[in-house]
Amino acid sequence: MKGAEVISKLNNVLSGEELIVSSNGNVSRQAFHLLPQPQLYLRGSMGLPVPVGLGLAIALPGKDIIVLTGDGNFLMGLSSMATVAFLKPLNLKIIILDNELYSTTGGQETVSSNMGYLELVLGMGVQNINSIDSIEKEDVIEKILSDTIKDPGLQVLHIKVEEDTINLENIPWHPVEIKERFLKQLDI
Amino acid sequence: MIDLQEFISYLSDHDFTLSSGVPCSYFKDLLINLEKDPDIYYVPATREDEAVGIASGYFLGDGKKSFLIMQNSGLANIGDALTSLAQLYKIPILLFVSYRGLEPDNDFPEHSIMGEVTESVLEAYKVPYWNLEESNWIKTLDLAINKMDKTSLPVCLLVEKGVLSE
Ligand SMILES: Cc1ncc(C[n+]2csc(CCOP(=O)(O)OP(=O)(O)O)c2C)c(N)n1
Ligand SMILES: [Mg+2]
Repeated sequence: MKGAEVISKLNNVLSGEELIVSSNGNVSRQAFHLLPQPQLYLRGSMGLPVPVGLGLAIALPGKDIIVLTGDGNFLMGLSSMATVAFLKPLNLKIIILDNELYSTTGGQETVSSNMGYLELVLGMGVQNINSIDSIEKEDVIEKILSDTIKDPGLQVLHIKVEEDTINLENIPWHPVEIKERFLKQLDI
Repeated sequence: MIDLQEFISYLSDHDFTLSSGVPCSYFKDLLINLEKDPDIYYVPATREDEAVGIASGYFLGDGKKSFLIMQNSGLANIGDALTSLAQLYKIPILLFVSYRGLEPDNDFPEHSIMGEVTESVLEAYKVPYWNLEESNWIKTLDLAINKMDKTSLPVCLLVEKGVLSE
């Protein structure tokens, strides 16, 4: 399955109450076009979707925060996974869409193909880490996504995905507009 | 040295409820006090750009305010986090940056070049900054926080040796 298809599957299992942070490039574009709006679409700050999600999770303990991150982004900010593992925010769910590529910039290889995400994240101190291949698990991926966002406590899901072939249009909102819409819908 | 209890109370009175960053010995005593303060939650970060990310997410959770602590070497790590996140999305963050590489640091060549360019870097990134001094720290923080709130952008306090730690 392609990354965008996994995001569409995620859409089917959202309650609508979650807040979603997406990493820069294609993942944010897909989140913008395929998930309920508004969410927190990162346009830059490669490597920081996990810390931004962590900050949100600390600020809003009553809300579930989902981080959708590409493998390139996750690896750039890898040490923040250790911070999350240390703090174990109960309301944070991290989904890594691993196409083994910097797909947004033209499909250059990342170092992902060499890695065991399960052992890595487990070794950082996260108990609830699941690592799957979207092709092998195509039939049950919705259930796995649903469990990841609904099971209690910190959850990490690493998914091998195929390269996206359709390029979605850029996000038309300026980052200040993203922020303002995001803050407005909180309505706390 | 600034009275650290007064300093922390000042910050929590101004609605700062979270702090993060990477230590510098210039903040040693401040961090001892901060870690046991019940009103401000301190998150030990692994990198300074991570701390900017945490502060940004925290603000986007209903406008909550935080301040960060880092060495000026860490200032060199946050360029993209500032320009493509905090400044781009207009997120207010109070930065305390230790000013290493000045006179008392003659034995620390690792700080000398960053020390020379610290203020130019802040100017280049268009981050307003002030020197935090024991004699008038409240006035300076009033100014900095006012600017931060008015612009909804990061601002910086440069902290020399002996100001926030023995
Ligand atoms: C600091 C920084 N370096 C490089 C880039 C260019 N860049 C934008 S998106 C991207 C790839 C991100 O890869 P990944 O998170 O795996 O997402 P994918 O493109 O594969 O969906 C890169 C390298 C950037 N925006 N910021
Ligand atoms: Mg990728």
